[in-house]
Amino acid sequence: MGVLNTLLIIDDNEILLNAIDDYFSKRNYKVYASTNGLDALKLLETHGEAIDLIITDLIMPNISGVGIISIAKKKYPKIPVIAITGWGEHPEALAAEANADKIIEKPIKLNKLEDVIKDMLAQKNLNK
Amino acid sequence: MKFPLIGVSQAMNKVRELVEHVSDTGLNIIVTGESGVGKEVVAQNLYYKSPRNGKPFVKVNCAALPEGLLESELFGYEKGAFTGAEKKRRGKFELADKGVLFLDEIGDMPFSLQSKLLHVLQSGEFAPLGSETERKSDTWIIAATNHDLEQDIKTKSFREDLFYRLNIIKIHLPPLRERPEDVSVLVSHYIKIYSNQYNAGKFDMPDSKIMAKFIAYHWPGNVRELQNVLKRYMVIRDWDEILRALPTMEEAPVVMSSQPKSAGQLQPDPSDTIVNTGIQNLPELYSSDFSAFSLKKIRKKALDQVEAKAITHVLTHTGWNRSKAAKILRVSYKTLLNKITELNISPPSDSVL
Repeated sequence: MGVLNTLLIIDDNEILLNAIDDYFSKRNYKVYASTNGLDALKLLETHGEAIDLIITDLIMPNISGVGIISIAKKKYPKIPVIAITGWGEHPEALAAEANADKIIEKPIKLNKLEDVIKDMLAQKNLNK
Repeated sequence: MKFPLIGVSQAMNKVRELVEHVSDTGLNIIVTGESGVGKEVVAQNLYYKSPRNGKPFVKVNCAALPEGLLESELFGYEKGAFTGAEKKRRGKFELADKGVLFLDEIGDMPFSLQSKLLHVLQSGEFAPLGSETERKSDTWIIAATNHDLEQDIKTKSFREDLFYRLNIIKIHLPPLRERPEDVSVLVSHYIKIYSNQYNAGKFDMPDSKIMAKFIAYHWPGNVRELQNVLKRYMVIRDWDEILRALPTMEEAPVVMSSQPKSAGQLQPDPSDTIVNTGIQNLPELYSSDFSAFSLKKIRKKALDQVEAKAITHVLTHTGWNRSKAAKILRVSYKTLLNKITELNISPPSDSVL
C-alpha cells in the first residue's frame, strides 16, 4: 500500500472508537478520532483537505452525526461518509435524516468495515 | 454584543465554543436547560454570529397560545379563512424569512401541530390557513425547551421524527447551581447594567461574605432569579434584607436532575430500580413489559453511582483537595473536575463558606 489514507472517526463510545482507531492505525491508515461532534468539527476544520473518508456514529452529544455529515458534505462534498447506527437504538426516523453514503449497523466487524472503506476509497479515486 | 453569554465555568466556555462553531451552519438547533438559564440568550448569540444577522429574528412561545391560535400565528391566514379573519395575516414563518425563527417551549407544542411543523421542516414549504398554495420558507429554526424530549417521546407527547429533525445540534445549558463559579461574574455584570438602568447613584457591591452566600445558594430559578434578586436590591438597597428573603434550601423545592422528568411519565425508570435495589427486587411491573429497559442506561447509572461514592469518599479524606484526590484516584486533575461536575458532587455545605 503506497498512499497513506486518512480517516476521521467519530463515536461517543470510547471502547469502540479506540478499537477502530487501533485496527486502522496498524493497517497503514492515518486516523483522527473524536468522541464528540464539536471536536470532530474542529478536526475537520483543521485537516479537511487531508481527510479521505469519515466514519461517524449518529447519536452524540452536542453536534450529532447528522449535523457532522451535513457540515462535511457542504464544505467537502467529495469526502465519502459512512454512518454507524446502533442496536436498534437509532430509529429509522434518525437514519432517514442522515445524508450518508453508506449506513452500517452495529455490531461492527472491523474486517468488513475495512472492505467497505477500501471499496469507497477506490470509487473516490476513480472519480478523481 | 447586546446579550453576551456570561460565565467563566467550563460549561459556559463549552457553550460559547459550540456557538462559535455552529452559528454559520444554518442547521436546526435545539437549546435545552431549566427555566431561567438563558436559552434565548444562546439563540440570540447564534443569530448575531450567523450570516443571518440583520435579517429578522422572530420569536414564538409555543406554550403561550392555544393550538388554533398558535397554528395561525406560525403559518398565517388568508382573508375569510375562518370567521373573524377579516383580512389576511402573515405568519411567523413568513416574517422570519431569511432570518431566524426561535421556537421557545417547543416541548409544549400540541402534538397535532408538531406534524405540521415537521412538514415545513421537511419540505421547506408552508401554507397559510385558507390558502391553496404553499409558500417557500427559508428560515433557520432554533428551538428551546426545558423538557426532556426523549422522555416526552416515550410518553408519546413529542414526535420522534420531529425530535430528530430538530436535534441536529444540541446545546445544553446547565443550571446555575452546577456552575457556582459563574455566580460572582453574573452578579457584577448585572449590577453594572441595573445601576445604569435604575439611575442608581451610590450603592454597595456585595462584600465577600454576601457573595459567598450567593455562591452557596442553589438558585432554583437560575439566572432569571439572580437578576430579580439584584433588581430588588436596586430598590431596597439592603444586602442583609436581600439575603433574608432568599428561600432556604429546606423551604425551596429541590430539583435534583438538570432535566426535569416529564410530568406525563407513566412508570418508574427500571434502571433506577435495578441500580438502587438490585435485580431480584424488580417489581412485577417489568416482568413482561421491557419497553423502558436499557442495559446501556443501567450500566451508566450503576457506574455513576459507584464512582460518585468513591470520589466523595476520597475528597472527604483529602478535605476537598482535588489535586491530592486526583492522585489517589489515579486520574488526571481535569478528569476529576469533569467527574465532579458531571456527577454533581458538592462539598458539604459548611465547608463552602
